[in-house]
Amino acid sequence: MLTFIAALIGLALTPVVGGLLAGVDRRVTARLQSRFGPPILQPFYDVLKLLGKAPMVVNSWQVMSAYIYVMSSALAVLLFFMQGDLLLLFFVMTIGAVFQVVGALSVPSPYAQVGAQRELLQMLAYEPLIIVVFVGISMATGSFKIADVYAMEKPLLLSMPFLFIALGYALTIKLRKSPFDISACHHAHQELVRGVLTEYSGPHLALLEIGHWFDVVLILGLCSLFWHTSIVGMVALLVVTYAAEILIDNICARMTWPWMLKNVLGVGLVLSVFNLLWLYVS
Amino acid sequence: MGLLENWINKGRLKSPWVVHFDCGSCNGCDIEVLACLTPVFDVERFGIINVGNPKHADVLLVTGTVNHRNKKVLKNIYDQMPDPKAVIAIGACGTSGGVFRECYNVVGGVDQVIPVDVYVPGCPAKPDAIIDGVVTALDVVKAKLGLGEMPKVTVID
Amino acid sequence: MQSVSGDVHPEVSRLSFVLCYEVRMLDTLVFGSVVFPLLAALAVYFVRGDAARNIIVPVSVAITAAAALGLAGLGSFSYSPQAILGISLNGLITVLDFALLGFIFLIALRMGNLLIMGLTVLQVLGMVYLDFFLMDHGTQVTGFYADSLSLTMVLIISIVGGLICFYGLGYMKEHEEHLHLAKSRQPRFFFFMLLFLGAMNGLVLANNLSWMYFFWEVTTLCSFMLIGHDGTDEAKTNATRALWMNMAGGVAFVAALMFLQKSMGTLSVQDILAKSAAPGMKTAALLLPMAFLCFAGFTKAAQVPFQSWLCGAMVAPTPVSALLHSSTMVKAGVYLVIRMAPAYQGTMLSAAVAIFGAFTFIATSALAVGQSNGKKVLAYSTIANLGLIIACAGINTSAAIAAAVMLIIFHAISKGLLFLCVGAIEQKIGSRDIEAMRGLFKVMPRTAVITVIGIVTMMLPPFGMLLAKWMALESAATATAAMPPLVIMLALGSALTVLFWARWAGVMLGSTVPGENPPSEHQPFTVRLPLLLLAGGAVGLSLLSPFVYSMLVAPATALYAKATAYTVSMGVFENNAGVFAVYPLFLLLGVGFVYALRAAKKVGPEAASLPYMGGSQKVVDGKIGFNGPMNGFVETAAGNYYMESLFGESKLSKSINVIAIVLLAVMLGGVL
Ligand code: SF4
Repeated sequence: MLTFIAALIGLALTPVVGGLLAGVDRRVTARLQSRFGPPILQPFYDVLKLLGKAPMVVNSWQVMSAYIYVMSSALAVLLFFMQGDLLLLFFVMTIGAVFQVVGALSVPSPYAQVGAQRELLQMLAYEPLIIVVFVGISMATGSFKIADVYAMEKPLLLSMPFLFIALGYALTIKLRKSPFDISACHHAHQELVRGVLTEYSGPHLALLEIGHWFDVVLILGLCSLFWHTSIVGMVALLVVTYAAEILIDNICARMTWPWMLKNVLGVGLVLSVFNLLWLYVS
Repeated sequence: MGLLENWINKGRLKSPWVVHFDCGSCNGCDIEVLACLTPVFDVERFGIINVGNPKHADVLLVTGTVNHRNKKVLKNIYDQMPDPKAVIAIGACGTSGGVFRECYNVVGGVDQVIPVDVYVPGCPAKPDAIIDGVVTALDVVKAKLGLGEMPKVTVID
Repeated sequence: MQSVSGDVHPEVSRLSFVLCYEVRMLDTLVFGSVVFPLLAALAVYFVRGDAARNIIVPVSVAITAAAALGLAGLGSFSYSPQAILGISLNGLITVLDFALLGFIFLIALRMGNLLIMGLTVLQVLGMVYLDFFLMDHGTQVTGFYADSLSLTMVLIISIVGGLICFYGLGYMKEHEEHLHLAKSRQPRFFFFMLLFLGAMNGLVLANNLSWMYFFWEVTTLCSFMLIGHDGTDEAKTNATRALWMNMAGGVAFVAALMFLQKSMGTLSVQDILAKSAAPGMKTAALLLPMAFLCFAGFTKAAQVPFQSWLCGAMVAPTPVSALLHSSTMVKAGVYLVIRMAPAYQGTMLSAAVAIFGAFTFIATSALAVGQSNGKKVLAYSTIANLGLIIACAGINTSAAIAAAVMLIIFHAISKGLLFLCVGAIEQKIGSRDIEAMRGLFKVMPRTAVITVIGIVTMMLPPFGMLLAKWMALESAATATAAMPPLVIMLALGSALTVLFWARWAGVMLGSTVPGENPPSEHQPFTVRLPLLLLAGGAVGLSLLSPFVYSMLVAPATALYAKATAYTVSMGVFENNAGVFAVYPLFLLLGVGFVYALRAAKKVGPEAASLPYMGGSQKVVDGKIGFNGPMNGFVETAAGNYYMESLFGESKLSKSINVIAIVLLAVMLGGVL
């Protein structure tokens, strides 16, 4: 029961953390581009504003999809805080990702269609990596339960550094950062018009944004499992990882999906196999 | 619900996402609009984001004159912006038709087709004036929401 | 589950009236599942006329289903009927075996197909050698043996298969109207459909491998007849391909029978499994026939490189595809592989089977991504799931076997449903292409939603398929041999699966103005009822998955491995490796889903807008598009990415087949 209440509190705090992270991200990015940047709270202003806008949709499936997206992302985070099953929470997160695409595909809009196809390809790129990372964790701890990770004595990073890099690929895609921001990039005004998000607007766009925060926190939570032994180490790992993401975002151009598939699956899977073999042997 | 409403209103005034529509401009004003996004002006300070899609936008920036071919497009884009929203006519052309006013195919300024909240004249309009225009448009929105007075000046020069 | 000794042992049966009653009950039930469908088949064949057929088919599938339920209620049994109408069963089946092979030989002769003739002759020679030289006719072999695995299969075959036959009634009527046949060929069609059910039931209940082989060949024949039913050139070619591939499997089966009889001295599955448990038994003498049986299973389950027969089988009328894919035929292949799993547990053969299954899973998932033909996507996804089941059998832990059985159950329902949906869609819109199904919701709202439900139950939690896939992945991670390549293939394959399902579901839910409902659709009752029942079954059975697990799956796995696969309490599956909380998930997701639906309903027509088209959006005759050059209307067109350059059949098939053959060679060679 206590874990459940704690998990609920964690769940309530997640969007706050996610929004703040997005704010810091935008500020740091602005600084890297020698701009001043928006207030840290800007993502909250954006989402609040969107929530207050009049709904505008092409069909009701979009509304349903937006709600299912937030719900499943939140549920995945809840499972994380309940220290549940890694694979299960990943599958739950997939529900949202799938419905986001389904909503976009239900609209005869060229931009949403292209975005949806690209989103699916992104999923194709990151899903195997995440599953393999989980398999690595289960080899190290003997189970897929998060609780068992915390029972470990040594941080996972020491035994699975390459899988951490593979997870970094997944994080980059999930954060919608360059070079993998191909499905919903807001820098691609004319070609993509936010792609998979084109036809979601107002409150429904806000829901997707909140769901996105949940996802980001969840994946960062997964990263944090790699250094569970001390809070300082965990925070340091996360800060370094996120800083690297921002840096990569700013120094990379947006690439194409074939490049993404080749690169992410090629390099990511080779790294993973290498690390899995290492775990397998030891 | 009062608290949430307050927060939402706060968000509305702090997060104007703009969509830029080139309605037959000579491109002079367009370049100035884009200049606002550069590090020199950095409109993201005000929470302004340049989006490509009226469905995501709160403020419509129109540069150039309206002609018979594109007035429908202008109207469509305006209609696809969810409420609350504001329109800013940019440049001499946007405000009145400018140098093209007397042309055979020209309807005139933006306000001939859709309601305009703020005018930013100039040929081309200066980036700082455009930013000022957006900020003024927020005041207009605020007034429309019943949260403040209508700004006295809605023509920025 | 209560266990009944069905051996007709005179003293025992005289002792107790109850037992006697149960034995007679068993007689009736086994008869009802295996022989009765044959009688019903004969009845539809000879009693012509729509009216008679419309009565015979529903009644007989209902009786078969009732017999299946009765069998499941009785629980596991072993049962050796000696004779039917005074004829010794062993002799009868031997005679029928040769008759069947002779019949197939005649077919091959008529087609002038040397390959099939050769394969048939090989089988005949093998059977002659086995029956007249090897076999010791004195030993008793229990004819039928049922445990929860067989009973699960019987339930699936009789219920899902029965529903498909029922659907066939309405479907075939319309199908023949399309073809303008002078004389209805439905009697022939339903003859083979019903015979198929009986043969499948016999196959999964048989304990004597030579009986199983007989039923095995009957299913081969039925599938050949049904695939070629429409008689077009394409149908004939594809039917022939199905025949030779399955006959190749048949040869492997006969070879396995000979080796087993020679090395084990028995063809009883139970005896073989019991003997194999003894230490030091897992030598080439046992493993070689096992490898042959697995090979036979692979051909029947259309694993790579034999995938082409199942894909070709789509030319048949939809009920055939549905039957082949969901409840019969291919499931016979995986059934055999799972049935024999304990015999090769912990050997290199097991690891090879796992790798082979995983490879099929990833290869055919990739092929499915490159397809826009809906039925082909379904076909490849079937093969992929069968590959996953075989991989589970190869992993061969209790959790993996549980995953395999769960996959069989839930796949049968969802896939049967999806095939029936595509069939109904095809009859309405005249195409089975996914692109043609864009916005199907406007035309066939109910069928579109049911199809999406079918797709969602295939790919997302908390539904049974995903639960089974979760079990499969988690047990793969604990596999002892060849783990890293295995999990990588499974992970990649499962991501590919998500890709092709999600985009199919998405395009079908087309646009309607919010708050406005599309016109309701009309369908014949025999089409609508199976769709609704299967959709309800797919969701409902997932809801009952903890019960399904503890009543059917857990006892089945208990026969294979001592360790319990999962403990289930309050709808939460748990073992050392992980937890899957079915009920909490169902509850939370269900509440969320209802809330989402209500939110969607609340958005009224005032929120309606057209898609963004750079401001030139326009609607002409209800079609959405934009104002193009010269003020002309351009309708928007969109297509999914099928990425033929990466996932096209022509691109991949060859290398997939080569790798598959290498894997098979390694598997067969490895045991020696
Ligand atoms: S106002 Fe001047 S600079 Fe702007 S569009 Fe018109 S002519 Fe060009």
